[in-house]
Amino acid sequence: MSGDSLEEALTTRTANAPPELLSRSFFFVCAALSIATTIGLIVLLTTEAAKFFSFSAPLVGVTGETASVVEFLTGTNWGPTEGNFGVLSLVSATLMIMIGSSLLALPLGVGTAIYLSEYASPRLRGVLKPGLEILAGIPTVVYGFFAIIYITPALQPFVPGLGTFNILSACIVVGIMIIPMVASISEDAMSAVPESLRQAGYGMGATKFEVSTGIVVPASLSGIFSSFILALSRAIGETMAVTIAAGSTAQFLNVLNPAAYTERALPMTAAMVKLVGGDVTGGGVAYRSVFAIGITLFVITLAMNVISDLVAQHYREEY
Amino acid sequence: MATDTTTEVAGGFGQVSRTVGQLFRYLLLAATLFGLVFVTILLVYVANDAIQPLTADPGWHLTFFLALVVPTLAAGAYVYRRDGEAFQTGALAIGLAVVSLMFSGGAAMIFADIVEPLTFLAFLVAVAVPGVVTLAVVAYDDRIPFLGQFAVTVAAFYLSLFGVPGPLGAAAGISSVVPGVFGLLAGVPLAPAPWLLAVLSVGLPLAAVGGSLVARDRGRRARLFAGAGILAVPLAGGIVGPFVGVDPLPATVVASVGFVPPIVYAANVAINVPRERVALLIPVTIIVGALVGAFAVDLAGFAGPQSWVDWAFLTASHSNTAEDAGFYPAIGGSILLMVTVAVFAFPVGVGAAVYLEEYAPDNRFTRVVDVNISNLAGVPSVVYGLLGFGLFVTYLGQPDGTVLLGGLTLGLLILPIVIISAREAIRSVPEEQRAASYGMGATKWQTVKNVVLPRSFSGILTGTILALGRAIGETAPLIMIGAPNVTYSLPTSFSEAASAMPLQVYAWSSLYAGPNFYNKVVPAGVVVLVAVLLAMNSIAIVLRNKYQVGD
Amino acid sequence: MSRDDVERDTRTRRQVLAGVGAAGAAALAGCQSTGDGEGSGDELSGTIDIAGSSTVFPLATAMSEEFKSEHGEVEFNIQSTGSGGGFANHFCPGNTDFNNASRAIREQEEQQCADNDVEPVELTVATDALTVIVNNDLDIDSITVGELRQIWAAEVETETWSDVNSDWPDEPLELYGPSDASGTYDYFIESILHAGDEEYSHLSGYSGTEQDRTIIQGVEGSENAMGYLGYAYYSTNKDRVKALAIDDGDGEPVEPSLETARSGEYTPLSRPLFTYPAKSSLTEEHVAEFARFWLENATSEELVAESVGYVPLGEDDQQEQLDALEAAIEDAGN
Repeated sequence: MSGDSLEEALTTRTANAPPELLSRSFFFVCAALSIATTIGLIVLLTTEAAKFFSFSAPLVGVTGETASVVEFLTGTNWGPTEGNFGVLSLVSATLMIMIGSSLLALPLGVGTAIYLSEYASPRLRGVLKPGLEILAGIPTVVYGFFAIIYITPALQPFVPGLGTFNILSACIVVGIMIIPMVASISEDAMSAVPESLRQAGYGMGATKFEVSTGIVVPASLSGIFSSFILALSRAIGETMAVTIAAGSTAQFLNVLNPAAYTERALPMTAAMVKLVGGDVTGGGVAYRSVFAIGITLFVITLAMNVISDLVAQHYREEY
Repeated sequence: MATDTTTEVAGGFGQVSRTVGQLFRYLLLAATLFGLVFVTILLVYVANDAIQPLTADPGWHLTFFLALVVPTLAAGAYVYRRDGEAFQTGALAIGLAVVSLMFSGGAAMIFADIVEPLTFLAFLVAVAVPGVVTLAVVAYDDRIPFLGQFAVTVAAFYLSLFGVPGPLGAAAGISSVVPGVFGLLAGVPLAPAPWLLAVLSVGLPLAAVGGSLVARDRGRRARLFAGAGILAVPLAGGIVGPFVGVDPLPATVVASVGFVPPIVYAANVAINVPRERVALLIPVTIIVGALVGAFAVDLAGFAGPQSWVDWAFLTASHSNTAEDAGFYPAIGGSILLMVTVAVFAFPVGVGAAVYLEEYAPDNRFTRVVDVNISNLAGVPSVVYGLLGFGLFVTYLGQPDGTVLLGGLTLGLLILPIVIISAREAIRSVPEEQRAASYGMGATKWQTVKNVVLPRSFSGILTGTILALGRAIGETAPLIMIGAPNVTYSLPTSFSEAASAMPLQVYAWSSLYAGPNFYNKVVPAGVVVLVAVLLAMNSIAIVLRNKYQVGD
Repeated sequence: MSRDDVERDTRTRRQVLAGVGAAGAAALAGCQSTGDGEGSGDELSGTIDIAGSSTVFPLATAMSEEFKSEHGEVEFNIQSTGSGGGFANHFCPGNTDFNNASRAIREQEEQQCADNDVEPVELTVATDALTVIVNNDLDIDSITVGELRQIWAAEVETETWSDVNSDWPDEPLELYGPSDASGTYDYFIESILHAGDEEYSHLSGYSGTEQDRTIIQGVEGSENAMGYLGYAYYSTNKDRVKALAIDDGDGEPVEPSLETARSGEYTPLSRPLFTYPAKSSLTEEHVAEFARFWLENATSEELVAESVGYVPLGEDDQQEQLDALEAAIEDAGN
């Protein structure tokens, strides 16, 4: 946004000339398209989900009836073929993916960010940063495949009761996937800490370790926190890796029980893929439950992005 | 907060411990390397499964070690000791050769199976003619008012592409009276061989660009000669191709897209940067070493590895028997999807970024758009798939799984990423340059066109390439819009269904759980997919490094 | 083009390329494609869109591959969408020519199709059957669905055979089955564990494997073992293990065999697999020809049993289905 008064003064006279109008309206339409996308998303998800919740006739291919919004949001049993539409079992799986992957990605990501911003020589940074970008650029379907074909078999001798599909290896690959996100946003925040603060620390006789942990990290806490939320939201929305690695049995699991991570589970995103591509689909209205999950997912990720924005803005240290 | 910590730090004054600091440092390094090492190991595993290097004769390995690896290392070390920058140039040359060879395969695919060279040439000419008209109108007569120029431009493009009365007339039920340049050329009954047309349509523009680059400090004549020399490469490809068992058309395209860029790069270094000439030692050693090695291996009869990523895999389509399964339709589908996504997302994304950075007033609407874009970037890809399916298939009645549908859905998905990176690039254009432009009386549009976009172009391109990489790696939206898991040939138009590389990998790993599919075919697909994405990412990264240095 | 041909005439070139590395080899990917069109002299051409059940999907792709080797100009787009998803989103709206299904079309789906003037033609193409196997030396010949549920449900604690039925030996159970990545596993859950009033989940304390061979080996090697697998694989190993007759609750155990599977007596572990061409699509020569081709090959042991693992159609059934198809084609033509 360039609300520069000089610039305005120089361009107002010509602002309504035809080429100016034409180009400006083109650019405006492009920008407005993003709003249209959001509106399209919201309208589509709500109308289709509403159709699902308000359906009164017996469901096609389903023995039971459609679920009310309350049943949908509080039920713990997911089985669209039998008319069980409790989204909580899917949410529990998604939560486990989120928790498991963040246990791996958050410490590693922050560590990476501190190293890159405080310790690495420019030369080393020039190698490591593109490396991390490549990590983020590997398709998620490949990560899913890695999980099921290499990671799970490698873990099986050490983890008793680990099946072909399990949440654990899905957590590991999703964690690896979101490290670059945590690292790059946190590093941006750390690089924004003014050099004078660091110099002040050194001037007081602090070591590099003390400056990093005592000054840089606290000063960039808001940025680090917002990177966490964005990474968690990415983990929630991650689809292919969990579809391939976590299995397709919906069950309501105790999120805090470590043993539950060796189980199979069906996260929300995987449930959507399964509804569209699996064999158990009842068709018709049962299929519409995909929109009900979709809007739940959309609302959760949207809320997390908004929170991250707020955190970044309200707690930002101004220098 | 900062003052608090400093007092605390001051409290610990006098008891400096190096061990903690060192330990911390190595811990951080370990954290940084963890993901990289982990994924590298997995990639090595998958490459091992797909390429099976250990199945080759030891003699094969030894031959290539002696002919290729040892000389390359020696040449690399020598160049590096002579001149660090020359080493980079040499590495870049060989990287460029590998990447352009890869993409030339894709280009050859397009010309062999999707677009006829004649159609492509007709299209190029049909765009070039009105382009020249427009330039003439704009350059030679500034008395014509803008709207007149605009009308002439639009009319020229319309007539050239569609003729009279064109699709507008067709909509009104009038059949074509005069075909446009496009229709005229594309319908020529007696055209030269397709590969000659490919030389014209692909080789000629490349030669023009290459010639003026190589001989940029010399006269017009030298440029012409250089261009002609470069044009000889695709011609030679078309002529030599049949003798080595390759059809002339793909040979021409591979020669143009695959050989010309590295040759131009090498020639440019050799002629214009004498100090770095030594760099060419590296690519020359590698190419000669590879040829010598291949020749020696053939002579001695050593068997190479029984790789699953082989000619047959790359050129065959899916099969129920793992040994015959191939990736061809998936590669082609991904290429077409990428083209569609780029055509849609690039202009719209850049347009939105220009609006937000250069035009947008600081009001509520702008802030909403701003927040909205960052939120859209966080919406899961599977939800975009729902949007694509619901909007285009359920409400607009489009057939499902088509290239157009997939391209639009993926385009919407990467749009926020393109906008965000383009905004960053535009923001990095120094304010003084804009001010200078305005100071000389330029209008806003002229400033955007002549200053902002050219200055930020490489940054925008970098962001777009990275976003395109994201798009072709996506699977979930394609499943949602009903792209087929199995097709046997390339789509020939945008309204046909197409598979894509990641989707094919997913289909193989989930629907064909046989051991050979699981342990051989899927790794082979993964290797190809990852190779393409690594190539795209490295182009983006090299571009960005160059542009950051240039700034 | 067959892999051998390609290998022969590209060998030297491949080896040259090997030096440049795999990435370089990828470069020439497009080169041979123009030589593709295997002219077989017929004029069949067009595109066939198929969606539906993931169970029938491998069969459909096997058939299409075979068909394509004879009619190179016909293009296929095959999608695995689930039986119901295929009907609701692709077939009934008129977007696909065939919909595969692992169950018969439902009334509401027929209604939806009729609303869009799409008329499905039901064709049975194969039978999917599961076999429960035990060691040859074990003195048990039949089992009820309830007993199977008790053995395989994660929720029910079962240690020994006698826990299930007091007539059976007091020996610990040893279980073998397909891994949870397999469609057989899903089908077993659906037909046995989910069939009762309560939904049980599959226990995880069993030896799950991708390889049918391992299941046979495991059961063959231990007197107290039980396992389940697809019928096609059992039928080629009949002497090594014993198949149990299944009693679905009516007190009459049914032996698994081609006949009982086809006739539908062998419940609940067998189900017919269907494909539904749209009648309007059958007016197109290439679609009709493919439907015929599929049925003509539906009795093929090699295509149906060995490559995909289902029970092929019997000759009589095949004739019946072909008659139905011809009638539909004729009807569609008018």
